[in-house]
Amino acid sequence: MALYSGTFHENYAQDMAVFPTKLHWGLLIIFLILLFTCPLFFSDRILTILTMIGITIISVHGLNILVGYCGQISMGHAGFMAVGGYTSAILYAKLSFPFWAALPCGALAAGIAGLFFGLPSLKIKGFYLIMATIAAHFIIIWAIIQLYGLTGGADGLSVPRPRIGAIMLGTKTNYFYLVMVLACLATLIAHNIVRTRAGRAFIAIRDNDLAAEVMGISLWSYKLQAFFIGCVFAGVAGALLVHYISFASTDQFPFMDSVWYLGMLIVGGMGSTGGAIFGVVALKLLDELVTVIGPILSAAVAPQAAASVAIMSHGLIIIIFLIFEPRGLYHRWEMIKNYFRLWPFSHQE
Amino acid sequence: MGKTRFGFVALLIVMVALFMVPIGAQAKTLYVGGTQSLTGAFAEDSAAVLAGIQDYVRYVNETKMMAPWRKEKFPADITLEVLWRDDELKPAKALSIYEELKAKGMLVARISGSPIALALKDRLWEDQMGATSMASGSYLMTPPQSIFTYYPIYTDSCAAIADWFKASWKESRKPRVAYLTADNAMGKSLEIPAMRAYLDKIGYEFVGTQYVPLIATSPPTTQLTWLKQKGVDLALGVMINPGSQPTVKEMVRLGMGPFQPYKMTFGVALPGHAAVFAEAMGKLGDGYVCAGSFRPLDDLATPGIKFCDDLQKKYHPDKRVTHIMYEGGMLEAMVQVEALRLALEKAPYEKLTPKVVLEQGFYRIKNLNTGDISSTPLTYGKGDIEGVDEIRIDQVRNGKSVKVGLAPVHGIY
Repeated sequence: MALYSGTFHENYAQDMAVFPTKLHWGLLIIFLILLFTCPLFFSDRILTILTMIGITIISVHGLNILVGYCGQISMGHAGFMAVGGYTSAILYAKLSFPFWAALPCGALAAGIAGLFFGLPSLKIKGFYLIMATIAAHFIIIWAIIQLYGLTGGADGLSVPRPRIGAIMLGTKTNYFYLVMVLACLATLIAHNIVRTRAGRAFIAIRDNDLAAEVMGISLWSYKLQAFFIGCVFAGVAGALLVHYISFASTDQFPFMDSVWYLGMLIVGGMGSTGGAIFGVVALKLLDELVTVIGPILSAAVAPQAAASVAIMSHGLIIIIFLIFEPRGLYHRWEMIKNYFRLWPFSHQE
Repeated sequence: MGKTRFGFVALLIVMVALFMVPIGAQAKTLYVGGTQSLTGAFAEDSAAVLAGIQDYVRYVNETKMMAPWRKEKFPADITLEVLWRDDELKPAKALSIYEELKAKGMLVARISGSPIALALKDRLWEDQMGATSMASGSYLMTPPQSIFTYYPIYTDSCAAIADWFKASWKESRKPRVAYLTADNAMGKSLEIPAMRAYLDKIGYEFVGTQYVPLIATSPPTTQLTWLKQKGVDLALGVMINPGSQPTVKEMVRLGMGPFQPYKMTFGVALPGHAAVFAEAMGKLGDGYVCAGSFRPLDDLATPGIKFCDDLQKKYHPDKRVTHIMYEGGMLEAMVQVEALRLALEKAPYEKLTPKVVLEQGFYRIKNLNTGDISSTPLTYGKGDIEGVDEIRIDQVRNGKSVKVGLAPVHGIY
């Protein structure tokens, strides 16, 4: 980690700390205060957008572990979210599980589904793995629709508003707090996983799987671990989404979402925890901006001018990033931080 | 310097003038419209709906009339404004749009497709927000809440086709029926036990289900061959034209259809629009059946269609909307504006809330004359969200959409 001018690490603990200086801690506390006081300042609409951003961040963290760190490209992430969402919804709505138990069960179910569909990754990679994970998405959605008695099939499943004990989580404010706490936890966990033995193994596999195997890293074990962990994150996000909307439907998990999640990683910066957050925030805000601009554009240009603008703008942004900044927004952020690290004596090489 | 000073003074005058306008003189505005799916499978339908809503609102604002054939007037001091956003047919996005429009003071909402209906119906009910819906699945009835339809639910439409087909069945054996439907929430909403039970009750032998992509990307040869092998006489589905047209083309190629060597009738619920289908397919589409369909846009003898035509001529003669869901937009706007008008009879503008509009507006809509755009006049009430009482059945004959029957609504959900 780059430190501000004049700041030095004196021991290993400092070197390994996520927040190594008082300044970092101070900034974190200010950020958390601002985040958790949002409901005092913002309308229901902004809270809804922030809640959706929080849920997507959790999901994209999972994809980042799988794709960004371990190099196992998955296009079935929305399908794994569906597994988590439906499991949690069925347990909560039909089997009367408490919410605090249904949510982790959903995550676990998604993780197990990830393990199962991750098995091909032991034999195939790259393009072929993409195809296998696409198949996973469609198999999962097909299975959900066929299990009519359990899942409500195409009609979906109505889910009561969640509560933990006496705390009703159905209100927008309470749910916002829940999602933000989980998003912060997910960020911390994702960041720390990468610093563990498993995380280093993931990176080794991503960089060169043959070399990793020669070094004694079990590809079989670590690839499946990556799938399991990535899908657990997806499961949590899926469960949160379903409980937020109070309804489980396969239409909430379209295939295109998996594509956009990858796009978010590209825009934010693949292989960094901050990149996942930057990517989600950037594309979600762009999405909202385009939604608001749509009617204005439509009135000014042509009635159908607003159609598909969101998809086109997303695609365009991803292309621009792939060409001009393939390391994503997070890399830019790091460059800005480095510039100010030596400020006012910084220079450009 | 002089220009800057002049600009500053002008700005000051404008600001003072704005502040001097008494609050009472500010325009009273009510919003109609809501979330639209201008991106995705329903883009074409949604664009036409939006155009219909915008034209109708402009008409009411200009004339304060509800329709040429109606005597009631909309309050003169209130202006209507259309608010909409593109939800891309994504439930999560529709949720944030709904929150935004609600925060802006919208008292009515709309549903742009089945995924959005499934995601929003409980929330709308909690907020006591009345909504018109372009989607009309049986899920709206379990239980009926605050989403109102202006054409029959898909199961009722398909039941009407089954009734009509059975009435002309001559053979001694039971007719064999199968679902040939879109592979999304809308198409699959047909697959409910009540629908199967109804088909069994009226004497059909149910064979099974085949799915076709909502927008067919390849001819559904396998699905159709399966139907042929199973000896299916009637195939029922819920499809939009981009799905049904390639399907029927392939049927004809395989020699299947009521006027083909292998006799099989294919009937769909409203989104399959017989008029749109006939125009695109011509005689190739002969035999295709659609229940709950709107009248063709050139049927100017119908008052509602004449009204649509007049508005298009008046507001955008060079850019006519030819898609039949323009009529859907007119109906949605008529229902939303009527709900607001009725609510204003019971409560002053300042006291209007979504709940007031639901209870004093939507629930009080009885026999709303839509100029025969809808199958019957629309009636709503608490627990009565399906506006029509009868279902119009059209068939494509000689390349034209022809009305072949009228069947009662059974309420299958």
